[in-house]
Order: sequence, then structure tokens, then C-alpha cells
Amino acid sequence: MVGLRLLLAAVIAGFLLSTSESLRFELQSGHTKCIVEDVKNNAMTVGKYSVVNPNEGQPMPDSHKLTVRVTSHHGNNYHYSQLVESGQYAFVAAEEGDYMACFWAPDHKPQTTLTIEFDWKTGVAAKDWSNVAKKGTVDVMELELKKLFDTVTSIHEEMSYLRGREEEMQDLNRTTNSRMATLSLLSLFVCLGVAGMQLWHLKTFFEKKKLI
Amino acid sequence: MEKRKRFETAKIYVAYGFLLSLFGNGSVATALSITVTEFECVSEQVLHEGDTVSGNFVAIDHDIFWSSDHPGIDFTATAPGGSIVSSLKGTSGDKFKFKAQKSGIYKFCFRNPASTPETVSFYIHVGHIPNEHDLAKDEHMDPLNIKIAELREALEAITTEQKFLKARDARHRYTNVSTNKRVIYFTLAEYLVFAGASALQVLYIRNLFSKSVAYNRV
Repeated sequence: MVGLRLLLAAVIAGFLLSTSESLRFELQSGHTKCIVEDVKNNAMTVGKYSVVNPNEGQPMPDSHKLTVRVTSHHGNNYHYSQLVESGQYAFVAAEEGDYMACFWAPDHKPQTTLTIEFDWKTGVAAKDWSNVAKKGTVDVMELELKKLFDTVTSIHEEMSYLRGREEEMQDLNRTTNSRMATLSLLSLFVCLGVAGMQLWHLKTFFEKKKLI
Repeated sequence: MEKRKRFETAKIYVAYGFLLSLFGNGSVATALSITVTEFECVSEQVLHEGDTVSGNFVAIDHDIFWSSDHPGIDFTATAPGGSIVSSLKGTSGDKFKFKAQKSGIYKFCFRNPASTPETVSFYIHVGHIPNEHDLAKDEHMDPLNIKIAELREALEAITTEQKFLKARDARHRYTNVSTNKRVIYFTLAEYLVFAGASALQVLYIRNLFSKSVAYNRV
């Protein structure tokens, strides 16, 4: 009975989990397109890329291969594959900041345009839900609710992050404001000082020349 | 403190953040940043007819010096048949929302009429709520699923708005950092120009009175 229920849950989960959409973009042969993602510290990140076959059913032409490299903001290499049709990468972000995935299509005589299907998930979405579903008799409904709970948690974290950023910006604005006041006042003194110097210098100059 | 310095070259930098909810009720969320030199397009697949496609975009760099005459970014969303579903002209950031009349691949294009490349950060979300028709087709589906899907869509709406705010915050920060730098540099330059002009004045007057120049009548 438990086994049957589990099987049913797996089938339903399989049916529900089977569809996933990803983004497509076009890349001309010989050109590079770079993808940058802002990843938080210690967040799991998963990426999948593949070249869309222009002719359905026929093998992919040789020109439709790409070179991929994933680097961090500081330049550390996280993934590199050369002349492949599809691939994937997954890592836990050790550094906070922008991670760049660059795609390069090799040169081809008649310039071809490759359509690349790309999927990059970080944080909540990168979590492997099929593993969670396998543990015991987890209801499909329960799984959905767990996902919603994770989404809410991530929204909360994002709000905290935004609040922190807003506070930083307030500080920045305050500094700018006070700087503007100080520097303008200083400019007034500089003006008066320079004018005074001018007058004093010309006075002594003329006195030396015995004109005054 | 992150420094967003994107060097505008012929390469096009695309920044991604994905929120993919794997449930077949197909809600896809994509957060993206592109440097648009002239024209950039992204495609997204809409699985079910009647899905709501919502999103927003913000021009982050907006690297303009005099800040008054930049025309902004033009945005168009095209349906699979070729008809334009949503179009926004000359803005620096906006939201959009439409209901997909047919399923297929929708194209979202950005056009930059100015000569300087702009980094555009945008977010697209395709939301699907199963209706009674789907309920009738699949006997395992609970009416509760519809409620859960509605809840999920509401949460995704919050996430969409958050991404918009985050992008606007990034752009605001960019402006503020630039203001801060400008205050310092322009004021220092002003002081130097002051001192320089005054020194030149004094030198000129001294020159007028020098013996080598025949102004001795003064």
C-alpha cells in the first residue's frame, strides 16, 4: 500500500516536474556573449546549456558547437568546456558577486547563427527537489508547500538584503550632502583667500615699483 | 561593496538570475541583465495558452553625462505569430504584463537608440494557473492545486516586484556614487582653476608694468 502510494506520488511528481522552460538567445559564429549572474555567498548554483538543433531529426552540423567558460568576479575559473553541443555545471559559490559565463561560437564561413538554450538557477531554484521527494512518502502537496515555504524564506532574505543596501545608500547620500556643504563653504574661503593674496601681492609690487 | 564596472565593448554581457519552479504548472521566472549596444532580443517559451506573462526592466548604467537628452530604451514583446503584444518607448525602466493568447516562443527585444551601450536588467515571469478544464483532464489533480497555484503566482508577483526594486536600487546607487565622485572632482578642479586664473591675472598685470614692455608711461 505504501509502495503503491509512493509510486503514484513519483508518477505524479514526474509528470509535474517534467516540464522546464529555459531562456534562448542567439549567437553568431565568431562572436562571444557573456552571461553574468549575481550570486550570493554559499549559494548553490546550477547551469545547463545546449545548442538547439536547427534541423529536427537530423544530426547536428559540426559548426554548431560552442566553447563555454564560467569565471568569478575575481577571475577564478569554475567551468570550462571546449566545442561541445551541450553541457552543465554546478558549484557552490565561494565568492560573493558577479559570475560570468561566456559563450563563444567558432568562426564559420557563411555566418551561422546558433540558438542557445540556457538555464542558470541559483539559490532556492537550484535545490534538488527530486531528492527531497524520495525521502519517505512525501506527499506531492507537501512538496509544493515546501517549495512555497522556501520561496517565502528567500523573499524575506531578499528584503533584508535590500534594506541593508538602502541603508548604505542613505549613508552615501548623507556623506555627499555634507561634502557638498563643506566644499562649497571652502570654495568661498578659497575665493576670498586668492583675492586677498592678489591684492596683497599687487600692493607690494606697486610699492616696490614706487608707483603707490 | 560591489563595483559595477562594465566595460562597453562589442561583447554583450548578459546577467542572469533564474527562479525556475519545476512544477509543470510552468511558472518560469528569469532575471536578466543585458548590455544593449543597439538591439538585443531574448526568447522565452510560453507553454500554455492563457498564461500571464509579467515582467519589468531597468536601464542600470544610464551612463550619460548631461542626463537630460537620453532617449531611453525601447522595449517590444512579440507573440509567436509576429504581432506585437507589448511595447514601451523611451523609458529608463518600466513594468509590463500581458496575457498570452497562444502558446509558443515569445520574443522580448530591447532597442537602444543612443550611441552609448546601456546595461539593461530585466525580469520575465510566465505564470500558469490550472483551470477547471485542466482539472477535468487529470483526475489526480486536486482543486487544492488551483489554490496552491494561485498562491504561488502571488508569491512570484512579490518576487517580480523585488527584482524590479533591486534593479532600481542598483541604478540609484550608480547615480549616487557618480554624484559623490563628481562633487569631489569638480570642486577640486574649480579650486585649481580659481588659483590658476588668479595667478595668470597677477602675472599679466606684472607684465604690463615690466620695463621691457614700453608701457612706462603708466
